[in-house]
Amino acid sequence: MTQFSRLAVLMRPIRREMLMGLALAVLASLANFGLLFLSGWLLAAAAVAGLGGIVAQNAFNIFLPAVGVRFFATVRILARYLERVVTHDATLRFIGRVRAWSFESLIPQAPAVLARQRSGDMLFRFVSDTDRMGQFYLEVMLPFAVAAICCAAYVVVTGLFSVSAALVLATSLLLCGTIIPLIAAKLSACATAQISLQQDIMHADLTEILQGMGEFMFLGAAGSVQEHIARQQTNIRVCRQKVLLLEGGARFLITLIGTLSAVAMLALATHAYHAGTLSAACLPMLALGGLAAFDVVGPLPAAWQLLGHVRVAAQRVFAVCDQPPCVPLPAVTASPVQPLDLCFCNLGMRYPEANYWALRHANLLIRQGEHVALVGPSGAGKSTLINLLFRFYDYQEGTASFGNVDLKNVDADTMSQHVGIVAQDFHLFLGSIRRNLMIARSNATEDEMWRALKIAQLAEFVRAEPAGLDTLVGEEGICLSGGQARRLAIAQVVLRAPAWIILDEPTEGLDAQTEQDLMAALLAALPPQATIMCITHNRKVAGLMDRIVRVAEGRFYEVGRAP
Amino acid sequence: MSVKVMMQSSGNKTLAGFTRRISFWLGASVLLGGVAAVLLVLQLTVFAQIVAGLAFQHHSLADEIPALKWLVFFLVTRALLQWAADMVAAQGSLRLISNLRSELLQHLFNVGPVGMAGHATGATVTALDAGLEGLEPYFTQYMPRAAMMVVLPFMILATVLHLDGWSFLILACTGPLIPVFMALVGYRAQAIMDRQWTQLLLLGSSFLDALQGMTSLRLLGRARDAVAAVADMADEYRCTTMSVMKVAFLTSAVLEFFASLSIALVAVVFGARLLEGKADFQSAFLVLLLAPEYFMPLRAFSASYHARQNATAAMAGISKLFALPAMAARHENQLLAETLVSVKCENLSAEYEANRPVLSNINCTFARGTLSLITGESGAGKTTLVRLLLGLLSPVTGRIVAEDAHGIAHRDWQSNIGWVPQRPCLVHGTVAENLRMASPQADIASLRNVARQADALSFIESLPQGFDTLIGERGTCLSGGQVQRLALARVLLRKPQILILDEPTAHLDPESERRVATAIAHVATHCIVIVIAHRGAIITHAQQVLRVHKGQVFSGPHLLEHAA
Repeated sequence: MTQFSRLAVLMRPIRREMLMGLALAVLASLANFGLLFLSGWLLAAAAVAGLGGIVAQNAFNIFLPAVGVRFFATVRILARYLERVVTHDATLRFIGRVRAWSFESLIPQAPAVLARQRSGDMLFRFVSDTDRMGQFYLEVMLPFAVAAICCAAYVVVTGLFSVSAALVLATSLLLCGTIIPLIAAKLSACATAQISLQQDIMHADLTEILQGMGEFMFLGAAGSVQEHIARQQTNIRVCRQKVLLLEGGARFLITLIGTLSAVAMLALATHAYHAGTLSAACLPMLALGGLAAFDVVGPLPAAWQLLGHVRVAAQRVFAVCDQPPCVPLPAVTASPVQPLDLCFCNLGMRYPEANYWALRHANLLIRQGEHVALVGPSGAGKSTLINLLFRFYDYQEGTASFGNVDLKNVDADTMSQHVGIVAQDFHLFLGSIRRNLMIARSNATEDEMWRALKIAQLAEFVRAEPAGLDTLVGEEGICLSGGQARRLAIAQVVLRAPAWIILDEPTEGLDAQTEQDLMAALLAALPPQATIMCITHNRKVAGLMDRIVRVAEGRFYEVGRAP
Repeated sequence: MSVKVMMQSSGNKTLAGFTRRISFWLGASVLLGGVAAVLLVLQLTVFAQIVAGLAFQHHSLADEIPALKWLVFFLVTRALLQWAADMVAAQGSLRLISNLRSELLQHLFNVGPVGMAGHATGATVTALDAGLEGLEPYFTQYMPRAAMMVVLPFMILATVLHLDGWSFLILACTGPLIPVFMALVGYRAQAIMDRQWTQLLLLGSSFLDALQGMTSLRLLGRARDAVAAVADMADEYRCTTMSVMKVAFLTSAVLEFFASLSIALVAVVFGARLLEGKADFQSAFLVLLLAPEYFMPLRAFSASYHARQNATAAMAGISKLFALPAMAARHENQLLAETLVSVKCENLSAEYEANRPVLSNINCTFARGTLSLITGESGAGKTTLVRLLLGLLSPVTGRIVAEDAHGIAHRDWQSNIGWVPQRPCLVHGTVAENLRMASPQADIASLRNVARQADALSFIESLPQGFDTLIGERGTCLSGGQVQRLALARVLLRKPQILILDEPTAHLDPESERRVATAIAHVATHCIVIVIAHRGAIITHAQQVLRVHKGQVFSGPHLLEHAA
């Protein structure tokens, strides 16, 4: 049950709202019970008094119970409305908490956490899992708490009139609230697990199919992938049918037991009435109360079902969030000092779970202000350099320093103040070009933005768009072409004016002219003491640098130095 | 596109249209539910009779045995019928939704990647996945309850009319007010929801966006701020959602108000008359039992009202996808028996928006045994030309003719194209599974054969489990060059007569680039090969170079220099 205690910890800051919601929910349910219970008594008592002749009629005070009935009715209306507002608000707050918390714990793990699993699948699942964890309060905790409190209250109230009837009520409420839903949940557990598993797989498969649609068509595989999805659907449907059948069965039993227990309570009350310990007016009241009491156990089978789902969701989220980051945070963060030279000495680095060294016995010195091209076959370790610098992954052998500080003593936040990177798999955020630039530097002025766009050779395009800087980039920059998206990523880094710039294939997807303009503008715009490192396959781009370093077999080789 | 699919696509793609498709199941469900409702009224009548008998007619339990037997009979039958009614409705909607998913996927394949270009994959998958699931409560809850709302209250009203005039009046007056008020409030909720829908969608997907961009945020040094931003956006989402919900909850409050009021009124009015001896207890008690049931279907309906709103919202995304126009070209799975010797573009023009031509009046020929290179600036129209050749886009004017050795033009020649896009899509599975996508029955010998042709055999064999090595999504544990060569091998497995490659050597280091280029040149000896490229080794192998510039195509070897 550790998942639930951890959920409880996350709930702590909003416990007041949550308790308020619970109180309102309990109030609404009690008012409903009170309304029917009292109405039953009112009718029966009035009838008894009516039959009792004129004296009894005069002695009967109808005013008080009538006020009570109206009171319960009003409370029920108000409490229900407020309960809904408060509990939904608390739920949304809770989801926000879970998301902010989980995001915070994931950050030190990026990008390793994304590389570990089928990324699209994992992220989508993460979003729906946190959502489900957030539902825990509204859909699980609340029904259970309300049922527990109200059932106890109903049993006590009934017990005031007839202990045996109260026992019957308690037994059947217990049966309907716990045992039947538990058995149903147990029987359907396998099918439920199957459904969520299959749905995850289908989601990932659909993503794959849509992304590779053109290729699937021309591989003649369109028909077979559709059949594959159809088969998955059939599997899911069979499981769903089983779950629904069991749910229906549970509802059937609860209906049956609810009415039968009211009848049993009536029989016991009749017995007491004949024995003279109970008045006639109490019979209808207890029967009606018995029926009304079952309203609160109605949502419990669904809550039991959801409890399982929440546990699985919480397990998955906590499992991902609890992973230790690839690189532990330094005990004391040091700050690199001028000159910002990068020095690798006999460096050895291997990725977790990899069976080869990405870098081994590697030596490299890049002085501040140098322009260096990094070339070499793909997979030779060029991107590893970025991972090392930002402490995304650790090295195992040798020493590495940046600005006279051991890399082991810096973290990504420190590095990002000195080094700007245009990675190959950069991400553009939902929203406008302006928002993406603001993410790079929150205090950038409009002039600075235009200047950065101009250097990135994107100003012309943005100016031609009717919305200008507010042009939407779309999900994953879909509204921009590949080349435009990359240039926007370059503009982001230029805007930050870092001392070091590392560009991973900056001109990919650009034609020769734009490529030349971009590199020229970039070199002209940067201050002379700025370091540029270009990871590239493009000889022309490499030719613009002072030095060319080749990476091969996990080592750096000096290829040439420009005159 | 087959005729059958045409028929389906032209079908009614609205909630009402879908409802009609499962009208049999829904009808059966409502019928069963209706009988259950009759039995409920009977059950309550018997119950009231028993209570009245025990409390006021000094009956003993033994006297009520026959009535109790009836009670149990009505109760069990009713509950069973309700169970059956639920199952029938669920069955119908489960079937409908899986059919819809297949149809939508089929339709998207007919639309093709060009038609899908403006639609983010994530959103489309969500429409196919959660969107369609979101329709389910509409069919299993909303529709049957909407029907039940008509059946049960009328039945109860009729019964009450029979029992007591005053109560009939109270119920008959409050009942019809509810739908009116609910419609008023619901209308307002819908208006607010419509207004805030885009914002809700944007805020709803912001968490996913932040997760996807986590690495970028760290590189930009903005990760800490992003935590606050995530929290802020969640809070904004909460506020927006609550403003919609507060109004939506009013619907239920209206219902609650009338339901509570009626019960209270019935109890008080009856109480007063019972006291005066003007009414009998059994009728009073029965009316009190019936009153909540009178409002129950309305309450259930109102509780499922958001099922309708969700379904309407989900339908917006789904019908947008269904409304996408299908491609004109057919992509059948059959290969031509004849050998194609040339593909000619004749006076070809293309545009995405009216009167903004991307290509105009293009004429060019691609011949068998020739490696043709298409080059040009980004945005000049290279991709458009390829899309025309692939049949993913229909030309505005002109045509593309594929001829065999006898000069006979063939239809449906596009199924003979093998295409490798810029970033080939490798699926989660083994190397062999990825290759076999092109030909599920291919034996290992033919896999090795195509791998050799694409210069992929050596690296595949050096993988830990050879052809059985598991590769991740988008080939994460392979290098760019390896992915390209694997994709080339895969496409060769189909024995295409025409091969179209989009920037096959981008992202590659010189050594891999050389190997891929040589492999392509080798294939070009017995194929029509068309390659888009800017630069690199592939150019030296090209026998024909076409330069696309401002929507025109120029050809000739003198352009090589620029391309290089």
